[in-house]
Amino acid sequence: MNIQRTGTVRVIGVGAPLAGDDGVGWAVVDALAARRLPGVELLRVRDPSALVELLEGRVVIVDALLSPEAPGAVRTLGEADLAAISASRFSSHGIGVTEAVALARTLGRAGEVAFVTVGIAEATKGCADLSPPILRAVPRAADAVVAWLERGAPP
Amino acid sequence: MAETRTIAVDYLARVEGEGSLFIRMRDGQAEEVKLSIFEPPRFFEGFLRGRAASEAHDITSRICGICPIAYMMSACHAVEDALGLVVTERVRKLRRLLYCGEWIESHALHVFMLHAPDFLGCHDVIEMSREHREWVEKGLAIKKAGNALVTCIGGREIHPINVRIGGFYRAPDGAALRAMIPDLERAQRDAEAALHWLASLTFPEVDRDYELVALRHHADYPFCEGRIVSSRGVDISVAEYEQHFAEQHADYSTALQSTHGGGHYLTGPLARLHLNFDRLGDAARAAADAIGYGPPCRNPFRSLLARMIEVIQALDEAQRLIAEYEPPAAVALPTFDGERVGHGATEAPRGMLYHRYRIDPEGTILEARIVPPTSQNQLSIEDDLRAIAPELSRLPLEEATRLAEQAVRNHDPCISCATHFLKLRIEGA
Repeated sequence: MNIQRTGTVRVIGVGAPLAGDDGVGWAVVDALAARRLPGVELLRVRDPSALVELLEGRVVIVDALLSPEAPGAVRTLGEADLAAISASRFSSHGIGVTEAVALARTLGRAGEVAFVTVGIAEATKGCADLSPPILRAVPRAADAVVAWLERGAPP
Repeated sequence: MAETRTIAVDYLARVEGEGSLFIRMRDGQAEEVKLSIFEPPRFFEGFLRGRAASEAHDITSRICGICPIAYMMSACHAVEDALGLVVTERVRKLRRLLYCGEWIESHALHVFMLHAPDFLGCHDVIEMSREHREWVEKGLAIKKAGNALVTCIGGREIHPINVRIGGFYRAPDGAALRAMIPDLERAQRDAEAALHWLASLTFPEVDRDYELVALRHHADYPFCEGRIVSSRGVDISVAEYEQHFAEQHADYSTALQSTHGGGHYLTGPLARLHLNFDRLGDAARAAADAIGYGPPCRNPFRSLLARMIEVIQALDEAQRLIAEYEPPAAVALPTFDGERVGHGATEAPRGMLYHRYRIDPEGTILEARIVPPTSQNQLSIEDDLRAIAPELSRLPLEEATRLAEQAVRNHDPCISCATHFLKLRIEGA
């Protein structure tokens, strides 16, 4: 394992308890915790606005992406990619993930930020468990996070 | 020929959760107004049936999540009511301190990131931060001070775990609390400056004849205790809530809408300040006086200022509570010696949040009723849109749509249980 370290290296899962597939970000962080990555800080956030304070250094954000046509699809995206697909909703919050990242960027508080997204068909609130295709996507998403951390800047 | 105009926003931005808006106007009057909130009917209540009353606060706060402390406080008070348990003074103060934290973070998020952009003609907070960076930075710092309080007392940033029936699992460390005072002090100064700045912005002139509803306590600005009062003379105990306030179901919105005697009413910062202005601490009172804010204020656009005044109130009270802090001791809980009903109402940032539980002798919830503030405000929000329909008819469609959305955001609606995602569509006549 060769993870480039120049200051903070952090993985942030965005999710919520009892959020069903919308909580996949947390499941991926849990999976990464089990892998014991050296020098990588793992965080779970619920409120995307909390991200604004957390993006210095090298940061991967893991979250569900609403894409009913491709549930379970894992994608690694840079900030530029995110703007292009912002019509899809990351979260049902007043300030979403994309806005929080854009705000941090505007305020000069963002380092190198990437996203690993897991496609979900719908946000199944009130359910503690992930649906089977999403559950199967968790280790692949964790792999994508590690790949980005090892690779350095996204292509 | 009659002129018809339709404003439809299938997905409301800068609100918590999913909601949509539809207004049809003819000759400057609103013919039809629908604020649609997509929430599984009786969702909370079905989920709670069969669960332990001792977990109601944890379960409801996980489901809702936007205001976990508010759900915890209303649930705890309802279950404690069923047990006949009154918490100790130290627990009471620590709960107030915890609630201060949630008000500070929730109001700061709403004022600076969701609502202020409307008043500045900015599309969002990102655009706002290009021209008003200093204020966005201050807003974030104020929010952070609130978050720190909640985490210190609640025990965990993503979901508070330290609250229990009767009090807390672990008393927070006094030194850790006192270490927050410099940030709270700075946040209060920033909030006072921000209030002054926000008061200089342009507010549409609207005066609405609401029935305003809030808790009122004999001494304190309301959080967890008091009677339910209104600007039209209601003065009842929390236990009498359902005898006076009813819920109805509209076909366009799966969430329930509340009425008082069939009429619409409003809870939240505007109502709290109107009914409890004399309960403000010196700092918040001085700040309100300095900008000429005082009852009667029934302009929903000025809720921006009301929230900021409440932030000052909470920051000031938080520092006082920390200075007086004494760790509460653990308390033995009584048992349910029969089937019991308990009622609780506390003031969430968005307004009054009511919980009622019927609990069996084993402590299992048989029945739950939860009425969030946004359900209670929904009909008044629609009335606000009717009230500004003449203005909406006059403006170009895009501006009218923005004004309508701003009017909805006046009430900081929270629609967090919604599960529908819709696409934005605007149609005009």
